[in-house]
Formats: sequence, C-alpha cells, structure tokens
Amino acid sequence: MMDKLQPALEALIFISVEPLTPAKMAEVLPDVPPEEIARALQDLLAAYENSERAIRIVPSAGGYVFSTKPEFDPPVRKLLQIERRKKLSGQALEALSAVAYHQPVTQAEIAAIRGVDSSYALHTLLENKLIKIVGRKEAPGRPLLYRTTEKFLAYFGLNAIEDLPSAEELKKLMQEENG
Amino acid sequence: MSSEIDPTPARADAGAAGVAPGSNDGYLIKLGVFEGPLDLLLFLIKKKKIDIQDIPIAVITREYLEYLGSRERINLDREAEFLLMAALLIYIKSQILLPREQPVEPDVDPRRELVDRLVDYQQIKVAVGVLREREEEQSQTWRRAALTAPLPEEDLDLIEVSLFDLAESFFAMMKRKQGENLKVIQGKELSMGDKMNEILAILKERDFLDFLDYLGSHDSLEEALLAFFCLLELIKARLVVAIQEQLFHSIKVWLRKDAPPVLKGNE
Repeated sequence: MMDKLQPALEALIFISVEPLTPAKMAEVLPDVPPEEIARALQDLLAAYENSERAIRIVPSAGGYVFSTKPEFDPPVRKLLQIERRKKLSGQALEALSAVAYHQPVTQAEIAAIRGVDSSYALHTLLENKLIKIVGRKEAPGRPLLYRTTEKFLAYFGLNAIEDLPSAEELKKLMQEENG
Repeated sequence: MSSEIDPTPARADAGAAGVAPGSNDGYLIKLGVFEGPLDLLLFLIKKKKIDIQDIPIAVITREYLEYLGSRERINLDREAEFLLMAALLIYIKSQILLPREQPVEPDVDPRRELVDRLVDYQQIKVAVGVLREREEEQSQTWRRAALTAPLPEEDLDLIEVSLFDLAESFFAMMKRKQGENLKVIQGKELSMGDKMNEILAILKERDFLDFLDYLGSHDSLEEALLAFFCLLELIKARLVVAIQEQLFHSIKVWLRKDAPPVLKGNE
C-alpha cells in the first residue's frame, strides 16, 4: 500500500468532482498516517508540475483538484466555446483586497482605506459571492461586517486566506517596486 | 443592475506598476485613471521620487492642485473625494506654516495620519497586483468539475445573470453570425406569445436551454431577436431564470420551480 500511496491519491483526486480535502483523503486511507499522506501529496503535485503533461493538481479552497496548465488555455477555450475573459474591475479588485487584508471590515473602513466611496464595489463583490456579510460591528450604527468567501479562494486559486502574501511580504514587494 | 464583473479592461492594471510610464514629466494623465485621491497622491510621490515618510507638503500640494486644476470642471459625484484630499493637503500645509505659541511636540507631525493612510493604501495596491496576476492565471486554467456541474440547487454557487450579460452574450453571437449570410424569411408570422409558449414547452421537456445555442438555432435574425425578447420577457415575469454555473461559462435558462403553471394571456 505504502508505495502505492501516491497513485492512490492521484486516483482519488481524479475521481472527485469537488476539490478533495486532506481530511477526506485520511478518511479513505485510515491506515496511513496523515504526515505520510501530506508528503506523498506534495510529491504528486511536484511530479505533475514538472511533467510535460497538460494537466496538474492545484490546491483550491482547502482541497486538491486537477486543472489544465495555463499554456493550454487557447485550445480549451475553443473547445468550450468561451471567448470572453472576464475580469474584476479595478475598483472591485481594490475593495476586495482591502476586505481580504482587513477582514472583518465595514464599508466605512474600506472607504477610509481606499479614500473613495466603496458601496458600489462592495455590492458587486457581494453579488459575485466573493465577499459575504458575517455580522455587525459593535459600534455606532452597528454597521455590517464583511469577509471574503470560499469562492474568493477558488477564484484566485488559493487554498486558504493565509496563502495570500503577508503584510511583511507585501512590504518587501513594495520596496522592490519603489527601489 | 450591475454588470458584476466589469468587462472593460482594468485601468492600467490598477497599480503603481501601471503608472510608471508617467514618471517622465510632460504629460498629464486623466483623473479618471486613478482609483481615488490616494492613488493620485501615490502617483505624484512616485513621479517626484519623494520619500513617502518625508513628504514635502508644499510641493505635493501644488502638484496635486495642478492635476485638479487641469480640469475644466469638476464632476462632484465622482470627484468630491479628490477635492476632500485637496482640502486636507492645504490644511496640513497650513498646520506646518502657522506660527505657534508653543513649540509643537516633535512626534506630532501633522503629516503623520496621511502618511499612515498612504502606506496602508500602497499595501492594498500591491495586493491588488498580486491578486490580478492570480486572476489572470486562473482565467487560463480549466477544471472538469466546472463542466459537469449538476442541476442548480438553492445552495449551489450560481450566478443569476443580469440583463446586461444576456444582452452582451446575444450581441456577441450576432456579431459572430454577421459573417454568415443572413436571409430574411418572408411571410412567417411571428408572435411573442407563441414564441414564449414554445420556450416554456421546450423547458418543460428538457430542463434547460443553452442561451446562445437556442438563439443561434433560429433561421433568421428576426426570429432570433424575437426569441431574445421573449426570454427577457419570461425572465421579467419570473417564469424562467438565466443562470451561469460559474463565471466564464455559458448561460443556461431554467424553468423556475416556483413558476405559475400556465402562462396567462398572450404578451
């Protein structure tokens, strides 16, 4: 079983419609210690990443899923007949990154961070389910509090919110840009 | 109604990177390209190669006002925030210039708050760059899960599309079809009522319609247009719902579960 662990994980991820979580892997393979699963998973990911094949396994919202590599976008798009490439608007993305880094956060706080009214941007993000309302702040007016969603993670190909560069890493990037 | 994802290309990729070409003096960039006053300030700071921790307020205020002044009139709806920042800059400048009876405490720099805000904002801008890159990469990778999505249920992550999305899809299709020689078929009586009933009948039989496939299956432009308007009418009447299973995927039209059983009247 042990030496078959990697291909076993491969089979499980292949057959799963939703991203397969480590918890689910452990459930299916109860005799294998989780650390071993984690190690085999990393090896499997690396093997795909380094291969010449068009597919790889990517983390997504807490699980793992097969995906095509970016360079094969054109033929896939043609097959699926999807021409347009939608993107978030600049203001929506700015508001979203303010939410991501300051969550839970109110509309007024986001407006203060950006220096502009952000109600429309937040509305757009809510509509797209990239953010959600998680409650009210214990402050005058009891304003709504916003957080990013699972869909936010999936949309940007993140496994967890911690996968975003930390404040320190951003600072480093900032200095590189300025320098 | 909003187009949730702005189809227009992001302005200069929303960031410090995007404004870099402006660092040679000589031309003004339209105010509209800035997300807000902080964005404009950061741009000026970068252009003048100013240390953000030690902003010469007089210089930056002059530069900033020049940008605002280059406009013939200010659109208060969109640009009130730019004016607010101008007022703040002038206020800070006055705080620095005013003679004081007591010497100011050295750590109470009137610029402090603005600098903190700028640094915070700059961090968000960098994060925007990171997210934009990831978005770009994600839009080029595909998963099978998305293609075999099951029937829409309440808790699924579906996007009910707006009128604009529908119209956009429709016109994109018409544009593609432009090349094909469209003939107007004469003498065919087309009524909205009939068409709507036809759509409902198809939906009852088949669960869903692929929006573009269905419209594209019509022989004439006239008929396709009619079908399009009928679909809009049905959506408005809340008899059907147009749904995108995921961003970037084709739009499907479903019969609403809570729809009244028969369509009353004709139009």
